[in-house]
Amino acid sequence: MDRHSHKKIEEALQSLDGIAKATPRPFFFTRLEARMQREKSKWDIISSFVSRPAIVFAGICLVIIINVAVILSSSSFSNSSSQPNNEISAADEYNSVTAPMYEYVNATP
Amino acid sequence: MNESELVALLKIKDRQAFKELVETWQDMVYNTSIGFLQNEEDAEDISQEVFIKVYQSIYSFKGQSKLSTWIYRITVSKCLDHLRKKKRKKRFAFMQGLYGNGDNLAIDPPDFIHPGVKTESKEKSIALFKAIDKLPPNQKAAFVLNKVEELSYREISEIMDSSESAVDSLLQRAKKNLQILLKDALA
Repeated sequence: MDRHSHKKIEEALQSLDGIAKATPRPFFFTRLEARMQREKSKWDIISSFVSRPAIVFAGICLVIIINVAVILSSSSFSNSSSQPNNEISAADEYNSVTAPMYEYVNATP
Repeated sequence: MNESELVALLKIKDRQAFKELVETWQDMVYNTSIGFLQNEEDAEDISQEVFIKVYQSIYSFKGQSKLSTWIYRITVSKCLDHLRKKKRKKRFAFMQGLYGNGDNLAIDPPDFIHPGVKTESKEKSIALFKAIDKLPPNQKAAFVLNKVEELSYREISEIMDSSESAVDSLLQRAKKNLQILLKDALA
């Protein structure tokens, strides 16, 4: 690096020495309060919409419908799958399931 | 009003206390934000977000650090988050540009001149701020807090929750990287 470019780099690095503080435009607090009010009113609109009786009722109905649907589907699933389970348990009970080949191979006389 | 009284009043959402807090710290928050973001509108926007965050989460302030340190921490993390989002948007716009949607091409921001820089240093500071923008987040935070906010190593270490020697090392690395970046820019 030659001396000239080294000097330019050092000058650039020192260009922030003695920098004055930047300040926001006047009435910052007023703008901040207005923004907070806007954001608060946005949430007020959302919460007032969500808390309307019709919306609450529809929400409860939806939850009940989902619950009923899940219960019905799980009970029909258990009915349809109960038969093979019974067969397996009966087979276990009477020891009628064919033993795998390795059991005979490894069986001690 | 001392700091603990102010915090107690803020916890009960006292408007006058909040106004006092904002008026006390607005310059500090804005100056830090503008150092990071290099854009006046973004700095104003983020400064407002910082005070909204302070207002909403003052209950989590336990008084283990100074109030100013806590506000600085919020400011630094908000600024770095904003820069990350901006970078992501820029990358997305670039990708869109590659796939033929030329309307969303990322436009390079104009040269930033910090309002507090001395007139004779303005030209040189443009190159420096461009280089600062390319630093890794930790080095950028340490450099901005040290050079723009003129904070001591101890204050920076409290804000960044690290040791003074770690801050010193970050600043050394930042300076080295800036020298490399400026060498390319000023060549």
